[in-house]
Amino acid sequence: MNLLSLFQELFAPPRDLILIVLAAWIGLMLSERRTPRRSMNLNTLSNLLLVSLVTFIVGGRLLYAVENLATFIPSPASLFSLNTALFDPWGGLAVAVIIAFAFGRRWNLPLWPSLDAVTPLLATLAIGIALSHLASGSAFGKETNVPWAIYEWGAFRHPTQVYELTASILTLALILFQRATSKPGFQFLLFAALTSASRLVIEGFRGDSTLILGGFRAAQIIAWFILLAALIGLDHQEKLEPKIE
Amino acid sequence: MQPTLRRSLYVVILLAGLAWILLSADKTNSATAGQIPAPQRGFLAPEFKLETSQGQSIALTDYRGKAVLVNLWATWCPPCRAEMPTIEKVYQEFQNQGLVVLGVNSTIQDDPAAIAPFVKQYDLTFPILLDVNGEASDLYEIRSLPTSFFIGRDGIIKEVVVGGPMSEGLLQAKVEEILK
Repeated sequence: MNLLSLFQELFAPPRDLILIVLAAWIGLMLSERRTPRRSMNLNTLSNLLLVSLVTFIVGGRLLYAVENLATFIPSPASLFSLNTALFDPWGGLAVAVIIAFAFGRRWNLPLWPSLDAVTPLLATLAIGIALSHLASGSAFGKETNVPWAIYEWGAFRHPTQVYELTASILTLALILFQRATSKPGFQFLLFAALTSASRLVIEGFRGDSTLILGGFRAAQIIAWFILLAALIGLDHQEKLEPKIE
Repeated sequence: MQPTLRRSLYVVILLAGLAWILLSADKTNSATAGQIPAPQRGFLAPEFKLETSQGQSIALTDYRGKAVLVNLWATWCPPCRAEMPTIEKVYQEFQNQGLVVLGVNSTIQDDPAAIAPFVKQYDLTFPILLDVNGEASDLYEIRSLPTSFFIGRDGIIKEVVVGGPMSEGLLQAKVEEILK
């Protein structure tokens, strides 16, 4: 049994979620350690993260039920299940972002420094998600005959999960290399630019892409627009004076 | 970095991104991999042929054109026990619409003598197949019990639910999806 098989055996679904939880825990510690205490109230930020987490879980579950309303009306108790398949992750994420934004404004948290503060958490979460993909075999690559191909789901494929893991580790390293007190929003925009650029590249090797408009990969198009927005933001950042702590 | 140089670099990155989107587009839809048998969503469900405890031989291919739920379970597994009544209920509700449930007992890691009392206890009416040599478990790369595969009428796996118990709402939502 090789190392990859051992890893996949150890963290086979649903145990792959452990990797995401572990990444979230490490990411939170990194975020707390790197955030300058004078720049914001860390307790308020922690409360905001907690609210976001709860709304992500509850929102994802409720949205799944709304999407399958006819099924859940006769058995509303089905909502209270430990099964993670009963969940709309993108819907949950959308709800969490909206609620976080609303509470952030209500609690007077500055937008850009707050986004900078959570960037190490997001970058570490990306590593956790990549590890979870590697363990579960999801987000797999398309067939190839490159020497580093891995045998997965009946064919030799691009190890896209390994590409994703490498990109996310490099992104975190670059984020940690930046000074935490650089221009407000810089760390978050850098993370957004690096993550969208790597997704744009890696998606081209994926074997499970959602295709639109005659074969274009939907995730690449979304990633390109995020990259565009992040680069515009970074360009705008360059005009600002560095924040002096 | 000079603003002009920086902006030129950004434009080059964006143009390279657009070029890669065009180059890596999948015009033939080959990336969806639907024709390869593998136990993953989007792939053809791997074929198996197993016997029931009555000695009847049942193959997955027998049900091509129907929506199939393959549930792998064992008598000693508490979540498997917990979800069996729900699976039976949903089977009763949807079998007239073309739903087939194949309960594959992982006999290789179960007590064969416990299977018949289990089936009787839960009044299971769908076929119970015995995976005596672990053939189906290997094909479907089972690492946790229960694991359920929701297979569409085209033979493609639409959803894999690892772990349990599945709630009635979840089961119905997934079954309605494969019956479409």
